[in-house]
Amino acid sequence: MGEFKGSSVAGDLTVALSNDELHILINLVEQLLELLGERNFAHHYQSDDPFAQLMAASIGNLESAIDQPEDPVLRRLLPNGYADPESAAEFRKYTESSLRTVKQNHLMYLREQLVFPVDHELPKADIAVTEPTQWLIAINDLRLALAVRLDIKQDSYEQYELMKDNDPQKPLYAVYFWLGGIQESLINHL
Amino acid sequence: MSSQTQLEEELDLSKFFDNLWVTIVWDDPVNLMNYVTYVFIKLFNFSPEKAHTLMMQVHTEGKAVVASGTREEMERAVQQIHEHGLWATLQRDDHGRV
Repeated sequence: MGEFKGSSVAGDLTVALSNDELHILINLVEQLLELLGERNFAHHYQSDDPFAQLMAASIGNLESAIDQPEDPVLRRLLPNGYADPESAAEFRKYTESSLRTVKQNHLMYLREQLVFPVDHELPKADIAVTEPTQWLIAINDLRLALAVRLDIKQDSYEQYELMKDNDPQKPLYAVYFWLGGIQESLINHL
Repeated sequence: MSSQTQLEEELDLSKFFDNLWVTIVWDDPVNLMNYVTYVFIKLFNFSPEKAHTLMMQVHTEGKAVVASGTREEMERAVQQIHEHGLWATLQRDDHGRV
């Protein structure tokens, strides 16, 4: 169930993930990457396509401040740096794109690590964790994203325990708390 | 008269305080307590004790000042905190009345 073994200090940190767990993690990582990519026009600047360049120039106008993203998940992952909206928009203009890139890099790294065992008969994959910080931050971002969708509050675990088994939301809550367990286990092995 | 002006300029501490900015970390129900402590140690080189105290302050009071310095330094700190998934803002230091 996503248990870490060994330690990052000794350099033998591994995590055992079942095929089902790998499927869930890969799915979440890919969904979040897709969401993070939606407002990223930076790649158009490197594009050879003149139309893409034109679009990037008009959309990603560097002269104007950038509003907060509309999607609440993106609002949480790319939050305002100032309480005052004007300063926040100005700050966002210079920082949002690189913050997005950092988050995408962590998630892409995690995605690359999530490899099914070569021997399909094996019930679990033992994955070497060579960059535990990247794992930690990527898993934290997945939890943040799920928490927004599930409207997680301080007492959500108590609510989850009271949920009926046929509640359609219950499996998503289960994934959220499972990720928390993975993160906790990883921190304890740093 | 010029020396008088000079003295007044030297005593004008408001300029100094205007340059002081603080970074505030806000509580949320998602980030795990030991993760927040870990991030504080990693980013600010705090001792585990200090990181734990600040984490508890965020948890119980809803926010805590974790760094102070120039505006540029605080903007960098806020960006790094956001990279780690915590939420922070910077503001001018109003001497404890956050």
